[in-house]
Amino acid sequence: MAKKLYLENTALKARFEAEKSSFTGSDLAWLNNLRTEAMAQFMAVGIPGPKVEEWKYTNLTFLANENFTALTKSDHKKEAKIYFDKAYIKEIHGPAVVFVNGYLDRTLSIFEGLDEEYFSFFSEQPQNFKNLLENTLGSTSFNHLNRALVTDGYRLVIPENTVLDDIIQIIHIATSAAHMKSFYTRTAIEAGKNAQGQIMESFIGPDHVRYWNHMISDLTLAEGAEMSYVQYQEQGLQAIHMTELHTVVSDAANLKYLTFQLGAELSRTELIHNFVGERADIELRGAYLAQSQQSHDIFTRINHDKPNCDSNQFFRGVLNGGGKSAFQGKVVVGRDAQKTNANQSNKNLLLDRKAEANAKPELLIYADDVKCSHGATIGELDIDQLFYLRARGLDETSAKGLLVEAFISEVFEGWNNEILRQKFRDKAANWLKKR
Amino acid sequence: MLEIRNLHVNVGGQEILKGVNLTIKDGEVHAIMGPNGAGKSTLSYAICGKDGYEVTEGSVTYNGKDILALDPHERAGEGIFLGFQYPVEIPGVSNMNFLRTALNSQRRYRGEKEMAAVDFLKFVRACAKELDMDPEMLKRSVNVGFSGGEKKRNEMVQMAVLNPSFAVLDETDSGLDIDALKIVAEGINRLRASNKSILMITHYQRLLDYVVPDFVHVLAKGKIVKSGNKDLALLLEEKGYVGLGLEENAA
Ligand SMILES: Nc1ncnc2c1ncn2[C@@H]1O[C@H](COP(=O)(O)OP(=O)(O)O)[C@@H](O)[C@H]1O
Ligand SMILES: [Mg+2]
Repeated sequence: MAKKLYLENTALKARFEAEKSSFTGSDLAWLNNLRTEAMAQFMAVGIPGPKVEEWKYTNLTFLANENFTALTKSDHKKEAKIYFDKAYIKEIHGPAVVFVNGYLDRTLSIFEGLDEEYFSFFSEQPQNFKNLLENTLGSTSFNHLNRALVTDGYRLVIPENTVLDDIIQIIHIATSAAHMKSFYTRTAIEAGKNAQGQIMESFIGPDHVRYWNHMISDLTLAEGAEMSYVQYQEQGLQAIHMTELHTVVSDAANLKYLTFQLGAELSRTELIHNFVGERADIELRGAYLAQSQQSHDIFTRINHDKPNCDSNQFFRGVLNGGGKSAFQGKVVVGRDAQKTNANQSNKNLLLDRKAEANAKPELLIYADDVKCSHGATIGELDIDQLFYLRARGLDETSAKGLLVEAFISEVFEGWNNEILRQKFRDKAANWLKKR
Repeated sequence: MLEIRNLHVNVGGQEILKGVNLTIKDGEVHAIMGPNGAGKSTLSYAICGKDGYEVTEGSVTYNGKDILALDPHERAGEGIFLGFQYPVEIPGVSNMNFLRTALNSQRRYRGEKEMAAVDFLKFVRACAKELDMDPEMLKRSVNVGFSGGEKKRNEMVQMAVLNPSFAVLDETDSGLDIDALKIVAEGINRLRASNKSILMITHYQRLLDYVVPDFVHVLAKGKIVKSGNKDLALLLEEKGYVGLGLEENAA
């Protein structure tokens, strides 16, 4: 018998049946039908096994056996507040939208300064998410699972010619009540013609609490729109963290995206981009740091189907102890996508013999007048640099920390916000000292 | 006082230093000269504790302390400074950040208070100015894009900031034009004091016109084969290593 590519988890199906009546929007027939259908689609495919190409570096076999259940409402106000205080960046001021264990928390959120008419939440207005959820184009099995079990999420619609000045902080908190639970959130950001906005999303949670969160974000930029979007992940070391970002950019639109993966036992960041207009420009930056027992998996796919568009990918990772990482980046330049500029760079630093970095860049070009580059390296710390620092008085950990900071900070340089640049730099600098 | 006794050092499984003896008292300036490949840099690395420079025999003590038992940063904390023959480039780490981290690490090691950011800034700028280095260069990454001479000058700025009690300067003079050499020499002379000592490694005696040593030693094939005063350097200059019966190895 041939080995199955996808794995089954019947517990998820049982959970779906049990949870059915208490879902958000369970009074809405369209939503019930949609959930039921999505669950069936998920069960028909299953959890990607180790032989599935897209998941070759991240083994999800455990997901077929572990039983993640639905969250029961519990009192976690005090704990959530502690994490809020840690995650909320005061220097940025500005509004914050807070989700706790997959649900909007209005008490912790800061709506002051937020244009609330631009926001809606799935738990409050599920009908606003109907189109989004009905679109199954290119859905993976986890897409289906997310649609079937979606707990909450936000939709931000920035009207045309509107510029949001403040960085909006979106904070996803998990508390100890989330142990052996899973939650599925959905994000939609739609920037109208020439609209501008900035999102800083962070994920935080306790150590020693095992949960699985999965979030899908859809980002749609109309003509001339400009968005910057940051995802910063510093969850506890047993969390399973998965995000998918799907973007569609129109003429002369511009996206700047940055991900920084620091926490979780397993993280998976999928970035899927489609150009539907010309002269558009996207920039993807990413940094990941892994200690023993941690793995980060970055998966990017950029479809250049239109001419005159630019994409730049810049990813750096540092792996310590038995930490693991994977970068799978694929760029497809279609026949009509002349004058495409597509660059991709992935560099990894191994601090230990047990550490492992995988890089699989792929470039498929069907147009003839394009400029494309890609490069991937995996190296170690330079012993001469290390000795130079140590001979000047830095102990070994500090010396390594400074070199790690320098290596990773290339990702943050050129980011449009000084406060975030500094915060991330500091996080990278202190990373080796902390654990 | 630095005391090196019968020091044997292996590099890459090969014995490079074969029993070096050297005593440098406080306030003294010693010069070590010698042909390429004699083991001069090896001696400096062994004193400062670079990985791969394996001491197989002998001892090095500084002010009575066995420094071979210390990590490189601890040796730095004890007041030992190495001016590198080939200063290392460190992209992404600014000179300023590097120096502040280094100084405060050393201060912490000695149980002293760290220097506040503002005071540090003033102090470093003053040090750079004295060595004729544009303070703007302090913002740049360590040695990245610096010319050979600028790198050597940067070593001297670091030495001025860290204010060591014992400095090993490995061919600090090479690659410098005469003006730069004078500035660097002034920097070294400024460090001279009754409680400080310096070990200058040099290939030529040129530097010794500006920093006059108390003792000159010749290192050849892993051993000190001759010692004397500054006249020994002049003799070497005149007769060459070959003239003194010391063959010059290919580098
Ligand atoms: N890292 C190394 N690996 C192997 N051999 C080395 C290394 N460093 C130095 N050597 C050898 O040790 C000898 C002494 O080198 P070095 O101390 O640099 O001499 P000097 O500074 O006097 O020119 C040379 O033969 C050199 O080839
Ligand atoms: Mg040398």
